[in-house]
Amino acid sequence: MFNRRNFLKLGAASATTVIAPALSLNANAAKDLPIRGNRDFSPVTGKERKMIPSACWQCVTRCSNVGYVEDGKLVKIEPNINSIRTEGTLCAKGQAAINHTYDPDRILYPMRRVGERGEGKWKRITWEEALDEIAARMKKNRDAGTPEKVVYHYGRAKASHSKTVGGFFKAYGTGSIGNHTSICEGGKWSAQELTWGGHYDNWDFDNTKFVLNFGSNFLETHTNHIPVAHRMLWAMAERGVEMVTFDVRNSNTAAKSRDWVPVKPGTDLAVILAMINVVMSEGLYKGDGEEFLKYTRVTEDVDASVAQKVSAIKAHVKGYTPAWAEKISGVPAKQITALAKEFATKKPAVLVSYRGLVAHYNGNEGERAAQLLCAVTGQMDKPGTRMKAVGAGWNFPKIKPAKKTPKLDIFDGFPGQAAYPTHHVSHQVLKMIKDGRNGRPDMYITYCYTPAYANGDVQENIDILKDEKLIPFYVSVDPFYGDSTMYADLILPDTPFTERWTAEDMVSPSQVAEFYIRQPFTKPMGEARDFSDVVFDLGKRLGIDMGKAKSHEDFVRMTCDSTPGVKEAGGFEYMKKVGVWHDKNAKPQQQVYNRPVAESVYKAKGVVLDKASGVYWKPKSDADAKKGYVATKKAYKGYVAQKMPHGVFSGFAPDAVNKSGFLELWSPLLKAKGFGPMPTWMAIPEHQKMASDDLYMTTYKVATHSHSRTMNCKYLAEVYHSNPAWINPATAKAKGIYDGDRIKVKSATGEFVTKAQLTEAIMPGVIAVSHHCGHWAYGRYASDRRAPNAGSDDRGDRDYKLKWWSDNGVHPNWAIANSPDPINGQQRWMDTVVKVTRV
Amino acid sequence: MSNDSGPKLNRRDLLKRIGAGSALVTVAAAVPTVAQGAKKQEVRYAMVIDVRRCSGCQACSIACKTEFEVPIGGVRSWVEHHDAGVYPNVERRMLPRLCNHCSKPPCVDACPENINATYKREEDGIVVVDESKCIGCAKCVEACPYDARFMNPFKGDPKLTNGNGTADKCDFCLHRISKGVAPSCVNTCPGRARIFGDLNDPTSEVAKLVDELDTTVLRRGDKTKPSVFYIGADWIESKKDKKAQQFSRVDTHRNERSTHRFS
Repeated sequence: MFNRRNFLKLGAASATTVIAPALSLNANAAKDLPIRGNRDFSPVTGKERKMIPSACWQCVTRCSNVGYVEDGKLVKIEPNINSIRTEGTLCAKGQAAINHTYDPDRILYPMRRVGERGEGKWKRITWEEALDEIAARMKKNRDAGTPEKVVYHYGRAKASHSKTVGGFFKAYGTGSIGNHTSICEGGKWSAQELTWGGHYDNWDFDNTKFVLNFGSNFLETHTNHIPVAHRMLWAMAERGVEMVTFDVRNSNTAAKSRDWVPVKPGTDLAVILAMINVVMSEGLYKGDGEEFLKYTRVTEDVDASVAQKVSAIKAHVKGYTPAWAEKISGVPAKQITALAKEFATKKPAVLVSYRGLVAHYNGNEGERAAQLLCAVTGQMDKPGTRMKAVGAGWNFPKIKPAKKTPKLDIFDGFPGQAAYPTHHVSHQVLKMIKDGRNGRPDMYITYCYTPAYANGDVQENIDILKDEKLIPFYVSVDPFYGDSTMYADLILPDTPFTERWTAEDMVSPSQVAEFYIRQPFTKPMGEARDFSDVVFDLGKRLGIDMGKAKSHEDFVRMTCDSTPGVKEAGGFEYMKKVGVWHDKNAKPQQQVYNRPVAESVYKAKGVVLDKASGVYWKPKSDADAKKGYVATKKAYKGYVAQKMPHGVFSGFAPDAVNKSGFLELWSPLLKAKGFGPMPTWMAIPEHQKMASDDLYMTTYKVATHSHSRTMNCKYLAEVYHSNPAWINPATAKAKGIYDGDRIKVKSATGEFVTKAQLTEAIMPGVIAVSHHCGHWAYGRYASDRRAPNAGSDDRGDRDYKLKWWSDNGVHPNWAIANSPDPINGQQRWMDTVVKVTRV
Repeated sequence: MSNDSGPKLNRRDLLKRIGAGSALVTVAAAVPTVAQGAKKQEVRYAMVIDVRRCSGCQACSIACKTEFEVPIGGVRSWVEHHDAGVYPNVERRMLPRLCNHCSKPPCVDACPENINATYKREEDGIVVVDESKCIGCAKCVEACPYDARFMNPFKGDPKLTNGNGTADKCDFCLHRISKGVAPSCVNTCPGRARIFGDLNDPTSEVAKLVDELDTTVLRRGDKTKPSVFYIGADWIESKKDKKAQQFSRVDTHRNERSTHRFS
């Protein structure tokens, strides 16, 4: 039988010819196999549309794409068939980005508040006025020696964007730079940094035989969505690869799995620990597992033999039996045993995990347990398993930071809230500003970030943003008038991604890095300007040396023209034509941990052996050497190699904490903070105190929307705009709730009213409410509220009068607390306890 | 290809050959046949939708919406989610939808005799709407058993259509395929669930799939003889499933306004 992949190869081959000048078409072209992509024609005139390769930004996946332009207007976005990440596929969100460009509620010029905060009264100002004001304020802080009171808080800033904008603020002298990762999946990354060092795991679906999935709806939404989702669908269809998905509801991913395994919220950890118990008690660790354990630390003693390690794991998981886990999770012990055996024997298998596992009180331990299950079955960083991810390593021009970059200590939560918040605790930033103990900003600048909407406890976020005593000056950089920009004092009209430059670098599931760029499809509308261009102007005003580049386009050009490989292929000019580049001779990266290190390296001058951890490192001073590797601040930066009983190896090198070069599952760092050094069961405190009629509330995302930034895309809103709460009919019946009833959902934090959707596709005792919906601003399609700047002008949009739905959904975050995982600070999206009543 | 014969493979062969999704493959259904006695078309464009490859992501829906700037309220291509079963034994099935480009299209019959704005192209079997002729009577919209048509208020001559706009629907991206480029929905689909080609060309992928695998069509009983074939969607016809309908929920963004008409 012909196979689909050959067919696609065929398609890709013909596609490459598209890059060359005009493809000759014979009269019988239509009879031939239609080629895929990178060409489009007007359905009205039949004329070929101008194709521009670029990259998406609708979510953090940042897929390569191509845009088509007709008479200067962006008319269509499609996948770039030359991308090895997406293999010529693109999701709904990415294609609907044309709605962002032409959103009738887009902000097209700088605006200064004239009424009360949030009142919606604005006056149009010039860029000169806007930048003069910002620069004056920044100067004042710099002169007063308080640059840290200029706080820059971004939601998504990646690759060259992060270098220019972040570089600007560091060059100015503030270290007060915040991100939003803790409301995404920062906890998963922290757990990985504690175990294998570095973050991001790629799931090698191309080579796997079995997929065990704890709480990831990756066929609908994921940080590397389309690149991994399409591979899984192909693996299922072409190679019969089966997947088993643990989730509280039958997501599309669960539905495409062989088995959907309903699991009580916050108890996946118990199931994984029990699976480790099965692997150990059934001897399924023998062979591959034993080999891998050589590189794994599961004891305090770093010289332990494999046999000693096996005994230590066995002893640790002895009590974590399938029967024990069944009581906690509701998953039948028999099923846990069978799935553990299947995972351990159907090699290679991938262990997938995401927010269903990690956005809980015990999420850090969930991810660490997942790493241990991979280790004991030897299924890590090898083809077909969970692998260390590969992204493009660009040679970015340098922007020199100021000598000192002091920062307000408001990004890592309150003292004692999180032990190792390596991706920070962004959901506590506003609370910390309110508290004031570590200082408050004079100027708070948000970029691609809507703190009011994106975090939990919406009411408190709004109250803080509105309070001029807490935040004297709030600048929002955003293309759209949204749920947070409405509380700003100054709005800078950013460009949507379709009008920007970027050198991009997101992870490639093929384990070969893909270099790719974003370039503008069209010129910025109105007076909109890419913030990463604006910072060059601000730099001039403030006398900041931004390096050799004069604009972000310049920065991207220099990046392309100096990065090995891309440079030889033709640099910037090549990238503008093709959009993507990868090294065709590169071998997929695997097994980074077992490379022997030469004696000349680990016995080089200045390198010492830390006996307690077995780490060869370069301490900065004798005092540090005496203090030891684990206790020395940022000692991991001096990591050289790992001594193991069978040699000295590259190991799983640390990058954020002072872990050893083993896959560290016995963690001295966690032990020092009072946590179990091995992955240990932790019950969710709130779940232990539930009344008999309380329900768990979890959240989820759908394929057609990002968390908070796409409901103004009319085509996406048309498909999905309303998010009734999923509730099992048995649970609903007990509360007298019928399908479509209005229900009140009340937690300790807040409440909201929504509709009930009775469905057998969710476990009893749980309600699930998606994100995306319930905007109180963000334009007419999201909220039926026009942006104040838009006035009565429809800007050519002819569709709003055809909007046939009035239910814009409800935002669950009004009732979700901002509450961190105690180890890593991850926002606990899935731990909320609610009372649900019929209205 | 021999479009007229039934499946040539027994189940065991079939499972070996396709390797995956075995449970979903129809065993007994006959392959629909081309109208007998009619003059054989040179080209018969068709789409095969392998629902085993569909995750219900709606990328195809948006690809279509943007390709044609389809007005809000109108849909040429969409995806339905069918939930069935009782907890915890539930299934969610995806069903991508579009015009079936029927061999015997009821919409064509419904178009007033002297108007003939909608017709089936002799050269390739694509059912199209001639916007310059359409009078906006919406009879074809009513006649389509697949709900594949809608009234597009931005098309047509208002004098001719009485301000109703014209009928609109999928045309297999005629403007693209005539230049050798795959339809927009086919081009973007992450799962490669939509496969397009000439059913009369035995070397085409659609011909091979229809020939070698068991496929089903929507509303087989209506004798419309669709040119859209489904792999792995035998549940559409399953009697057991019809019995289970009482538990099932069909969820599509067309639902809320399936009766919606532009006024």
